[in-house]
Amino acid sequence: MGVTCVCQVPVAEGKSVQQTVDMLHKKLEQLGAVKQGNFWVDCETYQATGNATGQPTKLLYVMHNSETPLSSMALFEGGPGLTADANFDVLMVKLKSHFQNAKGHKVESRGTRYRYCDFLVKIGTVAMSSSARGISVEVEYCACVIPGDCWNLMKEFMQSFLGSSTPELPAVFTSKAEGLYAPVDCMDTMSQYLELFGKVRKQQVLAGSGVR
Amino acid sequence: MSQNLAKLAQRIDFDQSSDSEQDGPERESREPWSKPEPEEDEGAVKFQPSLWPWDSVRNNLRGALTEMCVLHDVLSVLKEKKYMALDPVSQDPSVTKTPQVFQLISKKKSLATAAQLLLKGAEKLNKSLAENQEQRRQRDFNSELLRLRSQWKLRKVGDKILGDLSYRSAGSLFPHHGTFEVIKNTDLDLDKKVPDDYCPLSVQIPSDLEGSAYIKVSIQKQSPDIGDLGTVSLFRRQPKAKPASQTWHVKLEAAQNVLLCKEIFAQLSREAVQIKSQIPHIVVKNQIISQPFPGLQLSISLCHSTGEKRSQRASPEKSKPDDHLYVLEHNLHQLIREFHKQTLSSVVMPHPASAPFGHKRLRLAGPMAYDKAEISSLQQSEGLLEKIIKQAKHIFLRSRTARTIDTLASRIEDPQIQAHWSNINDVYESSVKVLITSQGYEQICKSIQLQLNIGVEQIRVVHRDGRVITLSHQEQELQDFLLSQMSQHQVHAVQQLAKVMGWHVLSFSNHVGLGPIESIGNASAITVTSPNGEYTISVRNGPESGCKVLVQFPRSQAKELPKSDVLQDARWTHLRGPYKEVHWSRMEGRNFVYKMELLMAALTPCP
Repeated sequence: MGVTCVCQVPVAEGKSVQQTVDMLHKKLEQLGAVKQGNFWVDCETYQATGNATGQPTKLLYVMHNSETPLSSMALFEGGPGLTADANFDVLMVKLKSHFQNAKGHKVESRGTRYRYCDFLVKIGTVAMSSSARGISVEVEYCACVIPGDCWNLMKEFMQSFLGSSTPELPAVFTSKAEGLYAPVDCMDTMSQYLELFGKVRKQQVLAGSGVR
Repeated sequence: MSQNLAKLAQRIDFDQSSDSEQDGPERESREPWSKPEPEEDEGAVKFQPSLWPWDSVRNNLRGALTEMCVLHDVLSVLKEKKYMALDPVSQDPSVTKTPQVFQLISKKKSLATAAQLLLKGAEKLNKSLAENQEQRRQRDFNSELLRLRSQWKLRKVGDKILGDLSYRSAGSLFPHHGTFEVIKNTDLDLDKKVPDDYCPLSVQIPSDLEGSAYIKVSIQKQSPDIGDLGTVSLFRRQPKAKPASQTWHVKLEAAQNVLLCKEIFAQLSREAVQIKSQIPHIVVKNQIISQPFPGLQLSISLCHSTGEKRSQRASPEKSKPDDHLYVLEHNLHQLIREFHKQTLSSVVMPHPASAPFGHKRLRLAGPMAYDKAEISSLQQSEGLLEKIIKQAKHIFLRSRTARTIDTLASRIEDPQIQAHWSNINDVYESSVKVLITSQGYEQICKSIQLQLNIGVEQIRVVHRDGRVITLSHQEQELQDFLLSQMSQHQVHAVQQLAKVMGWHVLSFSNHVGLGPIESIGNASAITVTSPNGEYTISVRNGPESGCKVLVQFPRSQAKELPKSDVLQDARWTHLRGPYKEVHWSRMEGRNFVYKMELLMAALTPCP
């Protein structure tokens, strides 16, 4: 468990999603990273029913990560989050009357996992209803749990293979009460992924129109 | 007769008074007995004052004397039978006449009543005895049942008593039912002799658990033909033929053992099929064969004998020594019992209904977001088969190491090799300390001490000088290593000896780069010089090439050196000159260091 940074890499000009992903893979392999299997992150949307009229419906997101295979994370956008056992999904089925599953909104990111010394790089294709919508890159520095201590190192590492698409410090770390020097949680990773998936969903409309 | 006489005599003597007539009938009634008594009373009543007071006494005495004389006469007649004899008075037949038939009938009747009484009494006794025995039999059965219940779990189903001999209550997950039935065995004919091993209670065990079983674990050289598999002879000894007359506890224990062996074998074969390994395990009939090391075969077989007559075919394994590794069989039993305990341990039970079976910490894995590394550290990844294979590998490696060291020790005498095995071992690790010494010089030459840690697949050697070397499971590697250490020891010994003898070490090298190349290790060499500097001994010792000893003499002693005009000063002859090889094999001495000591002593001149 280390500091993670999730960012989105735009698809290269004139290339498909898959080709961009392959380019990234090649860059990492040239760097000396070792492939270590696959990963997946998915997110399901639940709509809260029966709330007072006039208020926007609260959306509950239930996410899973292959790094923590026995856990389910439930979070509201910008709100509190919960880490639970895998049985949480069964619980959501039982709460069908209060939370309805918006089946068409399931987003997931699947891809390969590379290890470079203390860094774990996961390059995944963000897909929504089995159509690729974008590329997600997650870089985890396993040796440290304080973002403030290792952000510079991570940024340098990301620059080496991401080039210009290197992200800034994620808002999740700065918005904490204790600031940059609070230890990270798996919830931070999930919030970053949620943000990314939200962006991808919004982009969906544009991408769909772009294709036409 | 005499009484009549006395009566007459008295009637004559005395006057009859009026009182005597009243006394008459009394007297007559008492006639059969004491005749003298009424006479005495009469005599007392008829006292007359004119007679002298002792008259009655005298009369009584006279009467007694008469009586005595008569008695004496009768006795003498009885005894002597000379002049008179006793003759029974003939009975009058008419007086005692009763019909014999009546006598017979009356006797019969009385006998019959007596007999009836006796018979009734005997019947009662018989009945009570039979009741007692029946009660005792019932009590025996009940007491046996109580004993059975104190050791085994029983329950009543309908009118049958069933018991459970499986390990399910101890945590086993084997799907065998393991029920046995308790049978009452009380319909025994008590008149016949009760057999010695009679027991009122007997049990009926399931038919597939009959007989006895054990798990045989053995390591053999690999069989070249795969068709040889499955022909392992099943039993090492004939079990004593005791079909059904065993007591119930022996039967139940044997059946439980069979069940446990079956469970062990089922678990092992399931793992053998499921777990992927480099060399797949073969499961054939009742045998699991795997290859821990190349060229070696580990076979685990379930030997179940049902006590029936075996076919008398001579098995080919009879002549081979029994290579059954009992330690591993015991360990298998222990491992499966540990596995049972784990399903029941307080770490696992009680557990919430929604959580799966497993370690308690794993329930936290979800909420605490454990990643894969943490989860795998909590989970037990090794199955029974892997554990037992690792243990077998370790046992084999350890015995082979011991054998290697022992053969070396018996083959090579000069540096002696000693092995001190540690008593405290692990199932996967043992250690031995190997010392290489020379006989007689143990205090001086103790620089080669090796600690061997024998693991599952490798041997780790820690040298005294701090080097750590990892050897593989190959036997040859260890042997070569020890041989190279032995050769190094000789050279180290010379170095230590030189210190003691006062010689100076000029050069010393553990791995010389000159001379013929050794195939095992490297040769080592040392050069030492005498205290006065005149002589030098050079030793080169290699594991294969043996030892070579050269001595350098001063120039003055070398005969073949040509006289030269250049060296005119006499002092140059004191320098050391050419080398000469020593015929080491012809040197006197028990071992290398002894010989070296003698050589050094010979080259040190007395002052």
